[in-house]
Amino acid sequence: MPLFIEKLLAVIRWQDVLDILLNSYILFRLYIILRGTRLFIIVVIIFLLLIIQQIIATSSMILTHAVLQGIAALTAIGVLIVFRYEIRGIFQTKNLKDLLWHVSTKPVITPVEIIAGSVYHLARKKIGALIVLPGRQPVDAALQNSVSWNGQVSREMIESIFWPGNPVHDGAAVIQGDQINRVAAILPLTERTNLPMRFGTRHRAAIGLTERSDALVLIVSEERGEVTIAHMGHIETVKNASSLETRLRQHTGMFGASPQRTSNERRSAAFAFLLSLIVVSSVWYSYSLGFVRGLTTVEVPIEYVKRDSQMEIIESSSTSVRIQLSGSLQLISRLDPNQIKVRFDLSKAVAGRNSITITEDNIILPPGASLKKVEPSSINIMVDTLGQKRLPVQVDWTGVLPPGILVQDIQLDPAAVEVIGGQLLLTEMDTIYTAKVPVDGLKQSGNLRAALALVPASLRLAPGQETSIRINFKVRPRQLVVSP
Amino acid sequence: MKLWITWGLVLMTSLLPAGLMASNEAPTADQETRTQPIDQLQLSEAVICETLEAFKPLNSSVVFSVTMGSVMCFTAFNHIPEQTSIFHDWIRRDKLVFRKKLLLKTPRWASVSSIQLREADIGAWRVEVRDADGNLLRTLRFSITD
Repeated sequence: MPLFIEKLLAVIRWQDVLDILLNSYILFRLYIILRGTRLFIIVVIIFLLLIIQQIIATSSMILTHAVLQGIAALTAIGVLIVFRYEIRGIFQTKNLKDLLWHVSTKPVITPVEIIAGSVYHLARKKIGALIVLPGRQPVDAALQNSVSWNGQVSREMIESIFWPGNPVHDGAAVIQGDQINRVAAILPLTERTNLPMRFGTRHRAAIGLTERSDALVLIVSEERGEVTIAHMGHIETVKNASSLETRLRQHTGMFGASPQRTSNERRSAAFAFLLSLIVVSSVWYSYSLGFVRGLTTVEVPIEYVKRDSQMEIIESSSTSVRIQLSGSLQLISRLDPNQIKVRFDLSKAVAGRNSITITEDNIILPPGASLKKVEPSSINIMVDTLGQKRLPVQVDWTGVLPPGILVQDIQLDPAAVEVIGGQLLLTEMDTIYTAKVPVDGLKQSGNLRAALALVPASLRLAPGQETSIRINFKVRPRQLVVSP
Repeated sequence: MKLWITWGLVLMTSLLPAGLMASNEAPTADQETRTQPIDQLQLSEAVICETLEAFKPLNSSVVFSVTMGSVMCFTAFNHIPEQTSIFHDWIRRDKLVFRKKLLLKTPRWASVSSIQLREADIGAWRVEVRDADGNLLRTLRFSITD
């Protein structure tokens, strides 16, 4: 199994799978909604900019990263401003089900035969007409002074709209699906100066709209009685109704057999979803395991394992180590310090001073994390085997004796105690001291109790030993010293 | 290096006539001793004191103020079979600070060592009295206080 798949399976969680699927579907829906529009290209460019920006961020190119970040932000704002009508159109023309579920873009059949027949009928009668058939891009933003119509497409309806006595005959009619949505629409004129003289205002308007959108515009010339179509800024004359029908079918996406078309659409949608899944998975992989990496430093306590029960660590140069890790941003951000262990095997430790170099073998890291630095690089520990020793007790007096008083004699009960501690430590110890006992109040003989000070902390009293001793003391007046 | 500053040791190796040594007090908790055969060197007295007066220890105690300036360790021996030496090991908190070798002459002898006190000397002390072979004869425990 390839290494990256092993790493992937080791770290992936059900939340990650859901994360990938959810984002893949969002990307897929964006594609479905935006495909065929100019907005789609811009969104792809922004997406690519963000990817490049992340790659540059990992290369520590600070200035370029900042500039790209700015460009991406400005592009996003620009898109919202420039394509506001397209964005509005998307939400106006599609309901929630279309946005979230539907794949097919042509649920309504445009009656191209009726349109073609009507247009040629108008041409024969030399009645001027201008009909707009929007493509994937909305045209609302380009229209001025239009009148809402919302009538079913029929030969009579088209001919009556462009009948010279009709108040709305002088503008363009917009046909969406099988509906005439708007009439008397004023289209933007082209600014081209190289058009033939025979093209009048109607042709200029048709070209102007097709320069700004993917709409197809039919023009019927009232002077020559000819039918021309404008599409993507180009204009051409159509000789007969049959040719016009073909062009209209191509434009409305109704060319070819319907089942075949549905099958192609489904295949295309499946491919688009697969592509979305690959893209999102790649981005997820990059963030979780891949090239977008982060650094963190963690303080980890040292654990000693396989220590002999009779062995004790009485001194250590450090009780924890600082570990600098690198890993994916996702891993670093959700890193739990408890996942990191620093362990030393003390099965081969000997009594006395042991120097242990910290290697990667001593450090357990979560999958996907890699070790960058360890401080300190080695640990010195003093290991000792436990032993028991009887030590005499000494009182640790403190303070100031009252003037003229001497502590002449003391008796301790017990005078010695059994202590347990490291053999090396006990070898060096000859006395166990009490806690500080003040002498300030000792004006006459008496007794008091004092706790034993177990220093170092690894030292402890043997079972049965009391933690304090009784001090019987005798005081007497101090004799004056006669100077010679 | 601190030691030689701290320890301006003043030693007095006194050649004290045996007849002048009167004290024969039994050892107490601060005076741990070892039993010795009668034909061997016998430690008859060992105390920590402020000073000597008429060749006898004066103001022996287990607590001394650092303001005293110095303390002494007085040891007296009987049955000295031949000229020998002993050691006074001055130890602060299990750390040997100073060892003084003292000469003993037959048949009885007393010897004294002392230390100058500094503020840093405040704490628990002991003096181990050892024979020429290093055998521990007695331990004298005391404290230096404010």
